Amino acid sequence: MTAINDSQAPVAGTPRPPVEPSAASNTSFTLKAGLAQMLKGGVIMDVVNAEQAIIAERAGACAVMALERVPADIRAEGGVARMSDPKLIKEIMQAVSIPVMAKCRIGHFVEAQILESLGVDYIDESEVLTPADDVHQITKNNFRVPFVCGAKNLGEALRRIAEGAAMIRTKGEAGTGNVTEAVRHMRTINAQIKRASTMADDELYVFAKELGVSFHLLKETAKKGRLPVVNFAAGGVATPADAALCMQLGCDGVFVGSGIFHGENPEKRAKAIVQAVTHYNDPAILAEVSTDLGAAMVGRTDYYINKPRA
Amino acid sequence: MIIGVLALQGAFFEHVHMLKQVVAKRELNYQVQEVRTVAQLNQCDALVIPGGESTTMSLVAERSGLLEPLRQFVNNTDKPIWGTCAGLILVSDQANRTKRDGQELVGGLSIRINRNHFGRQNESFIEPMNLEFLEDKATPFDCVFIRAPAVDTILDSTNRSPPEGTICAPINIKAANARGPVQILAKTKRGDIVAVKQGRIFGTSFHPELTSDTRVHEYWVSTFC
Repeated sequence: MTAINDSQAPVAGTPRPPVEPSAASNTSFTLKAGLAQMLKGGVIMDVVNAEQAIIAERAGACAVMALERVPADIRAEGGVARMSDPKLIKEIMQAVSIPVMAKCRIGHFVEAQILESLGVDYIDESEVLTPADDVHQITKNNFRVPFVCGAKNLGEALRRIAEGAAMIRTKGEAGTGNVTEAVRHMRTINAQIKRASTMADDELYVFAKELGVSFHLLKETAKKGRLPVVNFAAGGVATPADAALCMQLGCDGVFVGSGIFHGENPEKRAKAIVQAVTHYNDPAILAEVSTDLGAAMVGRTDYYINKPRA
Repeated sequence: MIIGVLALQGAFFEHVHMLKQVVAKRELNYQVQEVRTVAQLNQCDALVIPGGESTTMSLVAERSGLLEPLRQFVNNTDKPIWGTCAGLILVSDQANRTKRDGQELVGGLSIRINRNHFGRQNESFIEPMNLEFLEDKATPFDCVFIRAPAVDTILDSTNRSPPEGTICAPINIKAANARGPVQILAKTKRGDIVAVKQGRIFGTSFHPELTSDTRVHEYWVSTFC
């Protein structure tokens, strides 16, 4: 905890203790988690084709996420949402030099194998697509390619990490343009970590049981005062202010999906969100970059892209 | 002395954390601070440019009005500079394998850097290396290479004209001459150049800040600062 307090001095806002290498149990995990560390303080943008990927890269995205349809369209059109056509993913990989991530369905380890063989830099096992398996997640430790997974609370986050996820993001409610759920998830995770960090071992054993996670992983998290891997905000971020809010709440970076290509003037909005994530603690800069962006995506307040499991 | 860590994007916090450990261990009266604005940069006596995405860092630097001040900072040859991975790309005079124009380099090191030299994430690796420049060179250092660049060419007056597709920083010949020649400090097993120094600029393709080993940070602080 000393490092955390010590490093808080220069900037206001939430401290960002480093993801220490002890979280990494082996070489391959250091590399997986290390790439996520390089993405910190950046914006990862959803793109459906090479043209959008180029706009995202020019705007300053630190990575792009390839998917078949952005979440707002999945909501509007319905139907089963799957991994993108490999042709589109390859085109995106050829078009940009920043890392390319791609989504596969929850539990669909064959889509993951395909994405790994294409050479994508990160896989998002994502609830935004239609789950292929409503019980099991992919055993991500078996892959060489790193995975990012969504989480609504600390239990979910640590279970995904135990399965091998090297990066976590809030689930939020993708495609709504409404940041409420992302904020809820971030606050829930923060509050649960804070609670854990005040607990003695006997209490931690009970809390671990409650959360459905291993005592060891929970204790490591409590000791660090943060998730043992990089944690991004995702789901409903539509404005520079939304992005800065997530950063001030303690996220390491931000995913933006429908928020960019569903608003007016995607390029300008994308650039503004990138600036907002760097200067998240500087209201004057936030005011400047929020100015005259045109209409944001309309947004919707009916939740749940996939009905929550009973 | 104030050591700045450029905090526009990437793994800046890890460097701040490591440098603070070194400062505490050596009982130095140094401060370490994050740099996001020109005012913060102007307070600094030394600068670390961390790993991250070089494209993002350069675009954000430009839009934050930091690109020219960074060039001026680097061209002051008294100031110690250290670039890791993306930071090494930014302090190179020339870079290969950029897919389009638009990315600007800060420049400083007389090298042509090859971006994503080893490939994509699937080709990322860790190589334990005996780094000759460390005090304790017998203990291998775990060098973490993540989508890492490597030095393609050491530039001099004979090979400065860039091949097609290369992006270039504006060259300050006076500063380059004051720094003297580029020294190669480390190569991988297969011979890729992954650590160099020129004057007070130090560059590494790998990420000492992702390990718990502070030796490279100690080297930079004690030798350059």
